[in-house]
Amino acid sequence: MATIALRRLVKRFGSTVAVDDVSLDIPHGKLVCLLGPSGCGKTTTLRMIAGLEQPTSGEILFDGAPVSNVPPQRRGIGMVFQNYALFTHMTTYDNLAFGLRIRGEPRETVDGEVRRMAEVLELTAVLDHPAARLDLSTMQRVALGRTLITRPRVLLLDEPLNNIRPGLREMLRAELRRLQLDLNQTAVYVTHDQEEALSLADQVIIMARGKVEQIGSPDGVYRRPRNRFVAAFVGSPTMNFLPCEVTSRDGEPHLAGPGFVIPAGRRPDLGPRGRLIVLGIRPEGVRLGEGPVSAVVMLIQPAGADQIIELAVGDHRLRALIRPSLRLTIGQQVALDFPSDELHLFDAATGEALDG
Amino acid sequence: MRGLLPLVRWVAAVAVAAVVLMPVVWAVSISFKPPAEWAAHPPRLVPEEPTLANYQVLFQVGNPVGVVAEMTRTAEPVTRAFITSLIVAPLATAASVAIGFFAAYAVSRYQVGGPMLPFLALTTRMFPPVAFAVPLLVYYRMLGLIDTRLGLALMYTGFTVAFPLWMIKGFIDSVPRHVEEAAILDGASRWRVLFTITLPLVKGGVAAALLFVFILNWTEFLFALIFTSRHAITLPVQVSYYAGAVGRFYGPQAALGIVASLPVVIAGYVIQRHLVRGFTFGLVK
Amino acid sequence: MVYWCRERVERMAGLLGGRIAEVANRDSTFRVILVAPLQLLLWFLLIVPTLIVLYLSVVNWQPIMGVDWWQAPLAWVGNYARVVRDVRFWEAMARTLGVVVAAVGLEFLLGLGLALLLRGEFLGKRFFTSVILYPMMLPWVVVGLVFFLLFLDRGPVNYIIGLTFGPDAPFDWYGHPLSALGVIVLADVWQWTPFMFLILYSGLGALPKEPQEAAMTLGASPWQIFRYVMLPMLRPIIYVAVVIRALEAFKIFDLVFIITRGGPGTSTESISLYIYRLSAIYGQLSYAAAMAVLILVMVAVLTRYAVKPMEQQQVPQ
Repeated sequence: MATIALRRLVKRFGSTVAVDDVSLDIPHGKLVCLLGPSGCGKTTTLRMIAGLEQPTSGEILFDGAPVSNVPPQRRGIGMVFQNYALFTHMTTYDNLAFGLRIRGEPRETVDGEVRRMAEVLELTAVLDHPAARLDLSTMQRVALGRTLITRPRVLLLDEPLNNIRPGLREMLRAELRRLQLDLNQTAVYVTHDQEEALSLADQVIIMARGKVEQIGSPDGVYRRPRNRFVAAFVGSPTMNFLPCEVTSRDGEPHLAGPGFVIPAGRRPDLGPRGRLIVLGIRPEGVRLGEGPVSAVVMLIQPAGADQIIELAVGDHRLRALIRPSLRLTIGQQVALDFPSDELHLFDAATGEALDG
Repeated sequence: MRGLLPLVRWVAAVAVAAVVLMPVVWAVSISFKPPAEWAAHPPRLVPEEPTLANYQVLFQVGNPVGVVAEMTRTAEPVTRAFITSLIVAPLATAASVAIGFFAAYAVSRYQVGGPMLPFLALTTRMFPPVAFAVPLLVYYRMLGLIDTRLGLALMYTGFTVAFPLWMIKGFIDSVPRHVEEAAILDGASRWRVLFTITLPLVKGGVAAALLFVFILNWTEFLFALIFTSRHAITLPVQVSYYAGAVGRFYGPQAALGIVASLPVVIAGYVIQRHLVRGFTFGLVK
Repeated sequence: MVYWCRERVERMAGLLGGRIAEVANRDSTFRVILVAPLQLLLWFLLIVPTLIVLYLSVVNWQPIMGVDWWQAPLAWVGNYARVVRDVRFWEAMARTLGVVVAAVGLEFLLGLGLALLLRGEFLGKRFFTSVILYPMMLPWVVVGLVFFLLFLDRGPVNYIIGLTFGPDAPFDWYGHPLSALGVIVLADVWQWTPFMFLILYSGLGALPKEPQEAAMTLGASPWQIFRYVMLPMLRPIIYVAVVIRALEAFKIFDLVFIITRGGPGTSTESISLYIYRLSAIYGQLSYAAAMAVLILVMVAVLTRYAVKPMEQQQVPQ
């Protein structure tokens, strides 16, 4: 069993607050992603879990027991660093063996474990190579193997696939996930790549400016973002936002945007008439063809299976993801519809989502 | 434990600073003491009757107190040695850094002289200088360069040029070529590019080299001892005359040591920020 | 007429000047002019003297013989044979190597210890760094003089020893070869530990942090991290620092000359001091030349071996 809990964790470096009152629970056997833009405090949080940074205040619990006074060596964690941090003066073999030798394991045990791990990660051929001369994806596997061989309770990964070229990255990602599931290993994975987080994690924790913005399943944070930040950060291409005002027409609540009025659907929390809100709609939610919104095609970008159309609605720009079979020309007038079940509504002032 | 470390660290730093400073503080103290206090028991750090006599005697004709009369070399005022040092060290330093700079440019940009040239220059520093002194004695005698300031300056230039060569080469290597190429395309001559584009970009390295080579030249002793006798003795040689004289005259010895050290210490503090790089032969960036 | 002449001379001078500038600007000439001073200097002070010292070492020549050096009778390997049988030479050699090992060893250990201890920030760090730099600037002869004064019979070191261990403890430092050498080593350590410290300190600072943290997360203790991660990664820097310092310490002359003059007797004579005496004082130039050649060969061979592991570490990626 290995669960981690953070309680009101704060980390300050001088006057800057890197991590600001973060509380969360990481259940056993799950892979949790800390997701956010650079400088959001995700790596600092990870380093505090590892014990490489001391929290300014707050507590970290492993299996319910506080670990503040436990040095990294005795936390039972394993960490994979962004640049792998291999021991470049050693061979692959010695890198893999390091953790076991440090523990004073007998030579035969070390040898057996190293060879088994090399087998699993397909490193057998490069065991005698100096670590400094491996290619990046091999380095990544050595770093992972070096960590896993010590059977850590918790595996911590700091953007481990950052330097790997696309394509290979997806493969390694899948491999990593398979390994984690096989070992039933609790893992915390830091990334700034929302696509990576969504495809990998059991649970996504989105951070910004040191705070947790939302915790949820990949599907949950995509479908029900709690605020504008999460809505904008998750999903690609990015969600469109349009300013609207609550009105009513025929006794039904409607939203009046730049040059259009659309039904708001059943939303008890919409508030009084005249309230300013922000309407969010994902590019893949925009319907082209007929509807109450009129727009002008500004730009057409083919994107493989789809095409991304940039449209002008009044003074605002928005993007739509549509089938490539639809032939459009720049400057063409089109009608759009925003289906009410695709709408995300946010308070204009606070950016918080209105719960539907 | 973690809270204690800064204190331990600080105490160690203070202790090291004290060990580093004490011997010199002691020499300064002696240099201001009258003869009766030079070997007084218990020794006192602060002179009871401070005096400048030890410094005055350096610049007078005649032996300092306590020196046996036949040691005529200590009877000469140090003015001449001081002037020699003030001429030879800066002259050789300027020559060494200038030659090193030009060669560094040629080696860095065109590999002139082949890949071994910089290493050949380095061999002047690798071996004990006394090994070169033997043949140079023969050679210098033939050329009439013995006991001349020119002969000494020439030697100092040759035996320090490896440092500016290597230090400045490191800097020039890091100046992108296209900066110079742009200027050449604009019609500037190669010499103009060298002096107005490259030189200002590597002036940090040139400053470090100047300081380092000046200190080497100012403190050099073996060549000066062997190749000068009357006309061109330098301050370190004068110090050795004092140190070797028969009799007790620690006060003037200490005073001369201080006088001989002052110019380098002052030079060091004037260009302090280039000091670290200079002293670590450019190994430390 | 006069005017015409002047004009013509000026034009010619201009042409000539222009021609010189043009030649100097030509790529090939430009390169040659840049390295010519260095090459002249090296020929004059390195290559020709090396040839002369080789020549001198196989002839028998002393200035007092009254013949010019190029007319001296051949001695073939006679001088070398004499060196090999010269006890004073071997003693000086062993002594010098001993001083190198003791001084450089101490400087390395102290420098490394200080570098480890003083990592990170502390009060007065800037002041400390500038204080620790200055012994390196002082003339060696002055350092020798200062240490000479410290270890006098009635000097402060003996006074402190007397206070601590009783009135009989003070010691005649210059009366015994070992203690006199000890003072020389101490002076060298005092002056050059800062050099080791600086290089090792900045080397430690330049080591990447992550491998150390990785070792930490793998369970390594601070000592194990130092021993198995930091020290091996620091090795190239250690090599450079120790080799440079050892080559410098092997030259030791000034400190010995000032502190003991090689005495008592010749019991603290360094190799440089012996060769200096042979050549500049005794006038035995051929004999000194043979010794110098042996030293050159020895240093070259030793340096070659010392540099080898460094090159192996820098195999191309």
